[in-house]
Amino acid sequence: MVTIAQSIPVPLRLPALREMFEARKRVFVDLLKWDIPVLEERYEVDQFDDEYATYLIVPDDAGGHAGSARLLDTGRPHILDTLFPELCEAPLPRGPRVLEITRFCLGRARGAHARIETRNRLVSGLVRYALENGIETYTGVAEMGWLSQILAFGWRCRPLGLPRMIDGKMLGALRIDISEETPALLEANGIYRPAPLQRLETLAAA
Amino acid sequence: MRPFERAEIFLRDVSETNTESELAEALGIVSHELGFEYFALSHHVDLRRAAQPAIRLHNYPADWVEYYDANSLGVSDPVHRASHVTSVGFAWSEIPRMIAMTPKDHEILFRGGARGIGDGFTVPANVPGESNGSCSFANPAGTPMREEDLPLAQLIGAFAFEAARKLWRVRGPLIQPPPRLTDRQRECILWVARGKSDWEISRILGVEHETVVRHLKQARERYGVGKRTMLAVQALFDGSISFTDILKR
Repeated sequence: MVTIAQSIPVPLRLPALREMFEARKRVFVDLLKWDIPVLEERYEVDQFDDEYATYLIVPDDAGGHAGSARLLDTGRPHILDTLFPELCEAPLPRGPRVLEITRFCLGRARGAHARIETRNRLVSGLVRYALENGIETYTGVAEMGWLSQILAFGWRCRPLGLPRMIDGKMLGALRIDISEETPALLEANGIYRPAPLQRLETLAAA
Repeated sequence: MRPFERAEIFLRDVSETNTESELAEALGIVSHELGFEYFALSHHVDLRRAAQPAIRLHNYPADWVEYYDANSLGVSDPVHRASHVTSVGFAWSEIPRMIAMTPKDHEILFRGGARGIGDGFTVPANVPGESNGSCSFANPAGTPMREEDLPLAQLIGAFAFEAARKLWRVRGPLIQPPPRLTDRQRECILWVARGKSDWEISRILGVEHETVVRHLKQARERYGVGKRTMLAVQALFDGSISFTDILKR
């Protein structure tokens, strides 16, 4: 199962999402050394964590956070158009059928094998989410070190511009086109893990 | 033409290639336009499938390739080894800062130079669970690289490798699913990798000595290996355990 959380006025206030913000701090700040804000020395939260963000969360066996990704509405300000416009040389895909994948996060608590399995479930969840919600394209910024791995999923992925060195990291903008054939492409690479998407019950948090 | 337009043309070309020779041709043309004389795309020797020849595409001078193969440099090549410690492209001139160079490594680079291979740029292609690979671009000795074209080389290298990977897959299953290990087996292998004996592992995990012996025996059987060191290496290779798992305190 993959949990979907969206339209949450203040995501950090939702207890079910706290663990994700903590995991993001451990991955992006502690491990990858990104220069991004941290709240209360525990939570990695930025200006895009608001009611317009959608979160996909892969739970671990105990119902905690194993992995997650954040999807941003490209009709509104998002990472590629606000922070890294220079990475896009091709026209930036945007609109109701385009979402930006950000904060793709695999928790550090478990071993390498478990992380790959979580990654497969998260990528499969992203594909399923797109197919169920009329999304045709995902965009995103990636460290070029991940590019071989992202391409090896087998889905249709193209660059939006040349990579550039930014703050000591080689970053590039990508687009991933999703269609009915995408699950078979993932399957051919041994990473497709179909699982139902389940919306997080958020009434209690409102 | 802007460099990015060149990348787009290359990607369109490779999306239409169906054979290794077509891919090699497209790579040769784009390498040349990037100011490089040579290219070499290879899966670094695959331990588990060593019986099968891995794909290698290149346009290196024949006498260098002969020397390279005669000395089995595929496993010890300093360029390949350096590409295992990073995931972004690097110039060969940086290698001494990336790995500990042996006298043999210096000799390889020197001999390459003597056969007309000078400085180069290598894009690692390390996919978890598969053997490592890379795509390199190189120049004759004495010809400098064009710094401004390296981001384009980075992109071309990564996409070329994926295109080769797709061609490979058609020839047979590229990814053999790694043997499934139980959590307990994996845990025992982690301690093996840290140099512990079966008895020590049994103390650490608080289980019977016999239990650890059994877990490791079954794990060796799943991998079809006879020795504990080989078991740890295989589990590392296919991503069942990682260097971080072993080294973390």
